[in-house]
Amino acid sequence: MRFAAILDGTIGTAPQQARALGDFLREGLIGDLVGETLVVYHDERDKQRLVELSPTRDVRLIKTPARRPDRMVEILTAVARGEGIPLFLFAGGSAGTELATRLACRTNGAVLTDALSIEVGPERLLCRKNVYSNHMVGRFELSARPRCVTIDACWKDGRSPTSLEHHVLSDTDETGGIGTTPFEDLELVDPPSTGDLAESRFLVVAGYGAGNREGVERIAEAARRMGASFGVSRPVAMNAWAAMDRLIGVSGTRTAPALCIVVGASGAPALHWGIEKAAFIVAIDLDERAPIVRNADAAVLDDGVVIVEELAEIIAAEVSR
Amino acid sequence: MCFKVTPDFEALREADWVAGAAHGVETRYVRRILNCFDESALEMALRLSDTLAGRGVTVGLGALSVGGREAEPYLKTLHALGYERAARVHSEASLDFAPAVIAALIAGYVRRVDHSDLVMLGCRSGPGDSGTVPFLVAETLGWPCLTQVIEVEPLPDDRVRVACMVDDGILRVTLRLPCVLAVGNAVVSHLRVPTLTDRLARRNKRIDVFRAADLGVDIAAELRRETCVLAGLEGIHRARQGVIIGGATPREKARVLFDSHLKSMIEKL
Amino acid sequence: MHLSREAIVEGVQRIVGPEDVITDEEVLRESSHDRFRLYEDVHGVYTQPIPAAVAMARSTQQVAEVLTFANEHGINVVPRTGRTATEGGLETAVADSIVLDGSAMNQIIEIDTYNMQATCQCGVPLQVLEDRLREQGCTTGHSPQSKPVAQMGGLVATRSIGQFSTLYGGIEDMVVGLEAVFPDGTVTRIKNVPRRAAGPDIRHVIIGNEGALCYITEVTVKLFPYLPQNNVFLGYTLESMKTGFEILREVMVNGYRPSVARVYDPADAAFHFSHFAEEDQCVLLFMAEGPAGIAKATAEGIEAIVARHQECRKVDSEFIATWFNDLNWGPDKIAQEREEIRQTSNICRTTEISSDWGCINEIYENALRRVVNEIPDITMAGGHSSHSYINGTNMYFVYFYNVVDCEPEEEATKYHTPINRIICEETLLLGGSIVHHHGLGKARTPWVKDEYGSSYYILETLKRAFDPNGIMNKGTIIPK
Repeated sequence: MRFAAILDGTIGTAPQQARALGDFLREGLIGDLVGETLVVYHDERDKQRLVELSPTRDVRLIKTPARRPDRMVEILTAVARGEGIPLFLFAGGSAGTELATRLACRTNGAVLTDALSIEVGPERLLCRKNVYSNHMVGRFELSARPRCVTIDACWKDGRSPTSLEHHVLSDTDETGGIGTTPFEDLELVDPPSTGDLAESRFLVVAGYGAGNREGVERIAEAARRMGASFGVSRPVAMNAWAAMDRLIGVSGTRTAPALCIVVGASGAPALHWGIEKAAFIVAIDLDERAPIVRNADAAVLDDGVVIVEELAEIIAAEVSR
Repeated sequence: MCFKVTPDFEALREADWVAGAAHGVETRYVRRILNCFDESALEMALRLSDTLAGRGVTVGLGALSVGGREAEPYLKTLHALGYERAARVHSEASLDFAPAVIAALIAGYVRRVDHSDLVMLGCRSGPGDSGTVPFLVAETLGWPCLTQVIEVEPLPDDRVRVACMVDDGILRVTLRLPCVLAVGNAVVSHLRVPTLTDRLARRNKRIDVFRAADLGVDIAAELRRETCVLAGLEGIHRARQGVIIGGATPREKARVLFDSHLKSMIEKL
Repeated sequence: MHLSREAIVEGVQRIVGPEDVITDEEVLRESSHDRFRLYEDVHGVYTQPIPAAVAMARSTQQVAEVLTFANEHGINVVPRTGRTATEGGLETAVADSIVLDGSAMNQIIEIDTYNMQATCQCGVPLQVLEDRLREQGCTTGHSPQSKPVAQMGGLVATRSIGQFSTLYGGIEDMVVGLEAVFPDGTVTRIKNVPRRAAGPDIRHVIIGNEGALCYITEVTVKLFPYLPQNNVFLGYTLESMKTGFEILREVMVNGYRPSVARVYDPADAAFHFSHFAEEDQCVLLFMAEGPAGIAKATAEGIEAIVARHQECRKVDSEFIATWFNDLNWGPDKIAQEREEIRQTSNICRTTEISSDWGCINEIYENALRRVVNEIPDITMAGGHSSHSYINGTNMYFVYFYNVVDCEPEEEATKYHTPINRIICEETLLLGGSIVHHHGLGKARTPWVKDEYGSSYYILETLKRAFDPNGIMNKGTIIPK
């Protein structure tokens, strides 16, 4: 089956889109598929970079005006109708959702957002996605062509894309005859910084088991050496062993790191809620029965301050190699 | 203003999440809550109306929910808060995973009954969380649409200034009505509360109940045409391993932890 | 006699060590009040005198030394553990208090499943004890909504009660022995025996003292078998609270002991049960537990009693089971509530009273009518009965109001206290008690003398005897 992956170069997330699509094509797309990337761009200076990012060998370039999703939908509709491409893939997000939905509407196709995987068989195409507030995974059959699918954000931080030898098949200019836009006075600003904690990929959390302020400070230093962000549980903050803005959990920050090391915290619900979305949790605690131990992927039963300092040394040594 | 009353999925027990069922999970027994994005939208609409009233402009607010009687307490609350019109569309069939049908009903209501020029709703809702309804409505009505809206401010000449979270930042844009605005993680996240006096005063306001046919929609036919159909459900296994790392000394344990579990992870970071 | 803040801090540091004395301003502010001043807290307003220090005690000895020190110098001490108090019991009502925190004394000392007793220090969270017990097939039977956060010392000090009290009783029925420290430093230990008649039951000087007489450092509670597999849930909708109270009475008077027996009025039912109860309906629900035969017989007996009342319509038990599963007040709900209050200026309050069967419905109707008529900006007023006895029941009034044109520090004066006054007045008028289980704290002390009548003599004498210098949680139980 043919597919077209859309790389939207008119917005600033092209590298993330490319990585996500690349990982998805490698690991999330199951079946006999061959495809190309449709790179949409508005600035000539971006072309080379966008081509190099593309997750497939074959690339087609389409020039459009900046930030005109309405125009992009028209162009993609023409492509879909003209070439009968049965599957369009978009990176997840607002832009992808809009494009996929509107494209499916105009072509009487099917749309599904935030796909975890796509399975293409001889008879049917099945997508898996999280439903019921991430309590379950649903399997959906998409029965109309083209299928317009956006992929789940969980693919966003996979490996770096492998370098491909790209082949540019065409470069068309669709900037003419664009009609009026319903949007005026566009102003793009950076999102407000939520601090290092919310965005952190590697987090160390210190709990009451650190014992005292000095213990907390040692853990914080170890976190810094490991290149991790540092947060604390509520008892630590309430004891003024660390600043309140380091607070993780219900009354503080909710995080979703790839790796979270919890040191000397029992993992009570308040804290756990702040770290439960971590991909991998390590608990370091003296108490085998602390809830954090069974809610962790791996646990070390020992003095947290000592272990985390040892770990920091090991990691620092590895990184410098 | 469209809103959805959903089961409170967080109040279900572990055992309720039954894999396999293609019709969905049994949620009949759990309490209902307002979808959080819809709640933001409902309150933002009230604030919009307050702002315009402050400028001497009267705006009529209407609320619509696709659903059964579970929506009525909320519709009554909205009446008490000053919403002029409160309606629901009845459906016998479950529309949990049928965003196209929901969108058709909303569009039908706007075209045939309501005639509003601003439709606001939450950007997505469970159990499907597709996020497609706002755009499907926009396509049917032929209106522009913005999603992940976090602020709306009225401007003269039937325009609104909207802030929305886009993939690469926050976009501020002026948009002419009519349009569809889908609300995301707005700071305004809770609906104000009417007093008992307010409720009493508006107790007799009618809640309109429509059938799909009134809005020009044949639900059964739409469902047959549905192109994205739930084929089954799988559980998500979250129980973590809790593997205890062994070692004679702290250094040894740290080394084992790193080598066995963390090395590749940290390389990726 | 009167020490400066610095001298107080130094004095306490010498006892517990500088590491365990907190003088951080933000911590001190947060330690100056409890949930009674939730509205102020959400807005970052602190109207109570800021304490001199929060001291973490790690042993009974340390508690004794801190109390001795405070007693010598006339320093107010506020005992606390889990910090879930709702009636102002934790407010530092006078300047430069010491908040003496026992949450570091968190050891479970012994679990004895042969003698069915568990002993733990005051800082053990109930949830932790309960989880540990359930692993061994036992339970405390104590399940207040604050269970995820509350600790043993505070639970005993406030005479707390849990959701399953109709079977297991309140904390006073569960406590075996105790250790408590008095203001002059005397450490007292009451041993663990099943019952005795060796003079008055002195445990009751300590249980419910709300930190006004002594500091509880250790608690032993009874254990019960944990048999959740036998739980039976029953639920009904009905038209009137009067009938609901009648049915509860019949269940109790006929000798049944469900663990849960509740009736919700329409306003309160709307919050919990709108997915199966109509707008003007009350909801009656029961849970029976214990050995299989008893749970079954209890459920059958209740069903027969309810069946005699035509207006009751049974609902699927799954509704009740599901609802029960999500009842407790964990940290995530607490956090969400704060945000909601901040945005909407709408806040929920509760006042719970008790009376005999003959008066409860009248108290309920009179109090509610007055609240709705006399208090502005009410958005909801209703309640439920949740703890029944052979000779009466409680009424848990629940009410929400918008705080309008009102500074955070005025909220209690404008709304909460007047509502409390109405409910307490109507209750006292008909001979009920103004507080069923939340404790007097400071919020309901204005009515304590009316509550006690001539027996106030006993209470005030206890206070004079045990705390002559008046250093224990000034303003709590006994008005300032």
